[in-house]
Amino acid sequence: MSMQDGIYYLVVCQLAAPAMTFALIGLPALLGRPLSEQATTRVVGAGFTSGFMAALATLVTLGLQGFPSQVVHLGTWFSVGHHAATIDLVADGLSVPYVCFSTGLCALVNAFAGKYLHREPGFTRFFLLLTLFGTGMNLMVLAGSIDVLFAGWEFLGLSSALLIGFFHERSNAVNASLRAYTTYRICDIGLLTAGVVVHAAVGSGDFGKLFSGTWPNAHCLVSTNVAVGVSILLVFAAMGKSAQVPFSGWLARAMEGPTPSSAIFYGALSIHAGAYVLLRCESLLDQAPAVQWAMVVIGSVTALHASVVGRVQTDLKSMLAYASMMQSGIIFVEIGLGWRVIPLVHVVSHAILRSLQILRSPSALHDRHELEAALGGHPGSEAWSPRHLLSERSQVWLYRLALERGYQDVSMVRLIVLPVRRLFEFAARGEERLIMWLGRDPTDSSRGGPK
Amino acid sequence: MIEEQDFWNSREITQNKTCRIERKVSQNCEEFLHGLLRPHASMTLPPLSNLLAREHCQNAIDHATHYLPAQGPIDVFIHHNTLHAFEEEPFEEALIHASHIFGTEPFLTETRYREELAQGRIRSEDVDAVLDAESLVQGDQQLAGGRITRKSLQRAILFHAIRQEDDTAVRWTLTESNVVECLRTDLDPSVRRQLLNEDAIAFANVDDRDSTFFGNEDDAVRRETFARGSFHKQFASERRVASELWHACVEAVALTRPSIVHVRPPVRHRDLIKAIEPSLDLDAFVNPLLIRWSAAFLDQGIAAWPMPGRERGLFEAVSKIYSGKNGPLEPWNIALPDALQAAQGMDPIDVIVAELERLGIPQPQWQVFIRQSLLSLRGWAGMIYQIEQRPDRVPVVAVPARLADFLALRLMCDRVAVEWAAQRLWRGVFDKTKKISGLWIELQDRYPPRRGPGGLSRAFLLHQISQVVGLTARNIRALDENELIRLESAIAEFNGVARRRIFHLAFERHHRIQILDALASQVRVTQAPVGVRPQAQAIFCIDERCESFRRHFEELGSSFETFGTAGFFAVAMYYRGIDDWHTSPLCPIVIRPKHTVLEVPETHAEHEHRTRQAWRRRYGTIMGTMSNSSRTLVRGGLFTALAGAIAAVPLVARVVFPRFTARLGATAAAISRKRVPTRLLLEKRNPHLLPDGTHPGFDVNEMTAIVRRVLEDIGLTKRFARLVAVLGHGSASLNNPHESAYDCGACGGGRGGPNARAFATMANDPRIRRSLADEGLLIPEDTQFIGGMLDTCCDEVRWFDAERMPASHASEFADLEAMVRGVSISNAHERCRRFETAPLDITPLEAHRHVEARAGDLAQVRPELGHATNAVCIIGRRWRSRGLFLDRRAFLVSYDSSIDIENDILTRTLAAVAPVGVGINLEYFFSVVDSIGYGCGTKLPHNITGLLGVMDGHASDLRTGLPWQMVEIHEPVRLLVVIESTPERILCAVEKTPMVKRLALNEWMQVVAWDPDTGALSVFEHGKFIPYLPESINISVVDRSISWYAGHREHLSPARVLAAMENLPAARDLPS
Repeated sequence: MSMQDGIYYLVVCQLAAPAMTFALIGLPALLGRPLSEQATTRVVGAGFTSGFMAALATLVTLGLQGFPSQVVHLGTWFSVGHHAATIDLVADGLSVPYVCFSTGLCALVNAFAGKYLHREPGFTRFFLLLTLFGTGMNLMVLAGSIDVLFAGWEFLGLSSALLIGFFHERSNAVNASLRAYTTYRICDIGLLTAGVVVHAAVGSGDFGKLFSGTWPNAHCLVSTNVAVGVSILLVFAAMGKSAQVPFSGWLARAMEGPTPSSAIFYGALSIHAGAYVLLRCESLLDQAPAVQWAMVVIGSVTALHASVVGRVQTDLKSMLAYASMMQSGIIFVEIGLGWRVIPLVHVVSHAILRSLQILRSPSALHDRHELEAALGGHPGSEAWSPRHLLSERSQVWLYRLALERGYQDVSMVRLIVLPVRRLFEFAARGEERLIMWLGRDPTDSSRGGPK
Repeated sequence: MIEEQDFWNSREITQNKTCRIERKVSQNCEEFLHGLLRPHASMTLPPLSNLLAREHCQNAIDHATHYLPAQGPIDVFIHHNTLHAFEEEPFEEALIHASHIFGTEPFLTETRYREELAQGRIRSEDVDAVLDAESLVQGDQQLAGGRITRKSLQRAILFHAIRQEDDTAVRWTLTESNVVECLRTDLDPSVRRQLLNEDAIAFANVDDRDSTFFGNEDDAVRRETFARGSFHKQFASERRVASELWHACVEAVALTRPSIVHVRPPVRHRDLIKAIEPSLDLDAFVNPLLIRWSAAFLDQGIAAWPMPGRERGLFEAVSKIYSGKNGPLEPWNIALPDALQAAQGMDPIDVIVAELERLGIPQPQWQVFIRQSLLSLRGWAGMIYQIEQRPDRVPVVAVPARLADFLALRLMCDRVAVEWAAQRLWRGVFDKTKKISGLWIELQDRYPPRRGPGGLSRAFLLHQISQVVGLTARNIRALDENELIRLESAIAEFNGVARRRIFHLAFERHHRIQILDALASQVRVTQAPVGVRPQAQAIFCIDERCESFRRHFEELGSSFETFGTAGFFAVAMYYRGIDDWHTSPLCPIVIRPKHTVLEVPETHAEHEHRTRQAWRRRYGTIMGTMSNSSRTLVRGGLFTALAGAIAAVPLVARVVFPRFTARLGATAAAISRKRVPTRLLLEKRNPHLLPDGTHPGFDVNEMTAIVRRVLEDIGLTKRFARLVAVLGHGSASLNNPHESAYDCGACGGGRGGPNARAFATMANDPRIRRSLADEGLLIPEDTQFIGGMLDTCCDEVRWFDAERMPASHASEFADLEAMVRGVSISNAHERCRRFETAPLDITPLEAHRHVEARAGDLAQVRPELGHATNAVCIIGRRWRSRGLFLDRRAFLVSYDSSIDIENDILTRTLAAVAPVGVGINLEYFFSVVDSIGYGCGTKLPHNITGLLGVMDGHASDLRTGLPWQMVEIHEPVRLLVVIESTPERILCAVEKTPMVKRLALNEWMQVVAWDPDTGALSVFEHGKFIPYLPESINISVVDRSISWYAGHREHLSPARVLAAMENLPAARDLPS
């Protein structure tokens, strides 16, 4: 079983490398003696590179055997009777290539950010969050049970939100960060509930009890009802992270952090986390055609929305954010159509391309001048687009819709935020009165009970 | 929220006041109208003639435009004085004035000055000298019964970091520490003794006093600390002295009343409402909308779908898009469509007038109100104004921008938001129909007065200050009320800004003295070059980045000479290179060129050229399609899914091997360029004007004048070498929206290579030589000029027309080329000492590789440091300053007063150099003094918007000024302009150009005269030249620059570099 052992160590290494890095740069900072910039980048670089190497080795080893699914059992969190929460990782044809790609990208962004953030007061904080993100990402990707997946998912959300608010002295950045985090948390309800449902249905969070076989041809082990329920919840969870309509308002605002974090999070990895989870549980989705159709619809609406809104964006990062959103919508459609390998390839391709574009975005003027020189003129604006089919009035209407980003923010405020706040205010007032009434002077009969 | 009853009460009061004010307003109006209107009996504002209101409004807008940032579209970055609107005021006053208007910092922080004090960048002598000068002007004042003077008080405060805290903080300090029971640890020993002496006199018997001592009921804290048990005996006396002093201070401040500082309330509703309800910031609602509109309106091609109807102006476009009721609105702007509907077809100025009246702003306040309203989004407002003024400078689409449109929308949104806020804050008082015109005055009245520091805070301050000036408890108690008030107000007057001002002047003084002493020390050791013909001469731009390059060139030996002149070499032209698709101006911004010069392929290479163009076009089409398609729906989906992974190649290459990738690209470009030799169409062969009204080239007379002018300016009229290099400069870097700010300021943010090439071509032309000779300027026949361009980012010199070099000069040119390569390497090495990521022990060759890597690195936010650290401008003959290590901080302008009989060379040199140099200097100055307020903060979250500028993140004001990464090592000091001429002649030259006069008289630059004969220095202060006596003329002497700077990162004082002065063998240990 040396082969199994080898895989075991390799998989543990993929996870431990970024986690150790986190500790290595986090502890000295906690003790008030943060590492030097150079040491930080080297440590993080070493962490991600060794993670990447381990993933590559696993990929080759597994690939030679035709990608069997290898479960790595790290331990059991707790078990009560038949019920157990195990800490399992899984190495298969989905997770290993994905770890390769995500760790590789993290290593690249680390190399980039080391120079980009030179002399920035939040230097150590950035790399701490980057390694936290890397750890969370690998945990989520390698997760063999829904509990581990949730843990990774949460690390991802937390580090994303903190990086959006990296420049916390600016209120815009903090607001955007809070908005992203709120959206994440609302959609986390989906994943958390899915976990509860899975535990209730099979007595464990193990994916092995939900489906068996090798990805992408796993077959579902649970009843259709459970599969449909879990699918709905997972799609809901994925919608937030992948910025699907109506949860897409946060994405354009997320471009508040330093450029490399924008690239890796909102161009490349974070935005595809939802797609990954859905790919991981594809066999459940297969049992729920209605959910698949819903995904196609949601994905199409998102892609269309992003395409229209993206067209009127006048700053580079917002434009790229909407371009990412559009691709993420298309990936949703692809998954909804029951495809497996195509969306995976699409995710990787898109992530690489978009990272490069976002990293290059400060050079846009330089690139534009070169392009103009090569073309001998301005790259002309598009001669025709489907909007020209509309009447002028409708075009104005559509333009306003696009400029207002599909009225998502307004609708959210009016339909959700304000009613919720009113409800809370009502509850607070009620509570106050109740307490007043409870704490009343019994001898004083002039005051009545709660109204 | 304000109670309704309160509101009505206060309202009644204010209504009377409103009437009063309105009456006053109407009186003003009457005066304004010169009796055109009859006095009005009613309580409301008289309906002014609309025409006059419009005029008033237009004037107010015009006035406000001066305060907006003058930065145009970012792809042509021109340095200018950030506070250009204040140039009429003396420098220091202007800084403080501007800080009130913009809400910015006038000087560096006190902490930063104290650091400089600790590091010796400010010396105590400098502070003393500045204080002496101040007291000479203002007169000194005796304080505390003659025990101290104001000067000694100020001095003591400056040298001791005094904590100034409010009551709460002091109370906390008292509870948590025993600070009032100890003397400060940083006291002078003599002051300390003086304070302790008191102990012997006043506290002969402490125990007796203790019972009465604690009678003061307001000081439980002290009682507690005293009860903490016995102290060590040697501290007992100190403890008693300090505590007793504390009591004296507490008693003293009780004698005088705390001050209430009456501040003038802000004019904008947003600020007034925020003062009452801090959580309600109306700009947070209004600004995002205005940002979206302005960005969409001005966009130069990022959005695929431009704003519909923008050709009719911002106001009309927005009213068309937003006046319909098609789409949900945010709660605050529900009334906006109606407002826009009502204003449709109106002139924006009328809209502004109507909104001002609806907002209830009295007409005398319009000017300030409009100014502050525009300053709220000054970046966008400024950009709109810039495009309105100079539509020719717009990169792509000249949209019909009008500031009035923007202001009309701003005020309309503000009004709608204020109405909404009023309804929300004072529910029941304001409803949908209620007008808010009375609200403004109401809110002005409610603006909370700012209370002065409370008793504890004042006592604490007095306690600390008494210690540092040596006032004992007895001294304090001896002061009567008037004395105390005088003392306290002297302390209060010397507030943070006043302290920082003194520090700043001291900071500048130290720098000035270092430079002037170094110059004075030069006088004895330099002499004019005579006799032997120099081996090579080089003409550079005045740019301070060329200082080190020139110095290293001069270190080759005394037969190498350099000159400096504005880097467009008097060739003001529109230029189009063979790779450009449009012409761009290459001359200072104040000049509009009258000539156009094209670069064309040589006749035999035309075919090659066409092939190359075709290939480039194909490449451009592919790249353009790729970047566009990744953003469209159908094509984008397919393209991204299928081909996106190809991007991994450039991604990895760019990030992991930045230098290799960049060099690969540069080499490929150079090879492709070399295949097509080119020439400049410099000479006018066609008398007709071009469509843009310029001449197609220069005629011989014009060219003669240009050559003559430059050679006279720099004093190169004899002793020509066989080779004269003319080097323009520019800078190419990636990841840098501010790339143009690194280019040549004298070329209006362009690259000066073509100018150098044009100048060299002109100067080599035999016809021009002949006409120059006729005018008495004889250039030897065997002198050859050669143009080139220095890339200040990667330290590389590219030569032009080298293949036209006659065979007689070929080998000399080859030598020169090799030497310049060596100089580039030394220069790169000197630059690297400033880059933290370059190790201090880097070798010259590694250093050169390092700067090459920086230039092409996508991740590098500091490709070069630009003009950072610039501080000096020396206008004079080079041999007088030659050999001084000036640390890349000095603009070096060659000027020979001995040939300037009429003084007109100095006049034109100053007119050209002073605005450029001072513009650069002050832009850096302000961007470092307040990086957020005047500069554009850190580069990291910058986001290019509309190809016009950068925002922070996804929606912020357009950020103008310089990013932090560009200015972080800059020392903000005013440019020290040393002119080698007599004071009389300088004054005469300064008088002739209004702008120079303004800058000099108001001391936005420091002018120093350097006598051409005696070498005596005199400093221009308060309108006259005052002789300068050097503190010391001993200067460090080193053999080469490298031995002075090696191993240092910090600012270095001037030193004498022997190699640059003496006749050394040319090739001595040149880095190979």
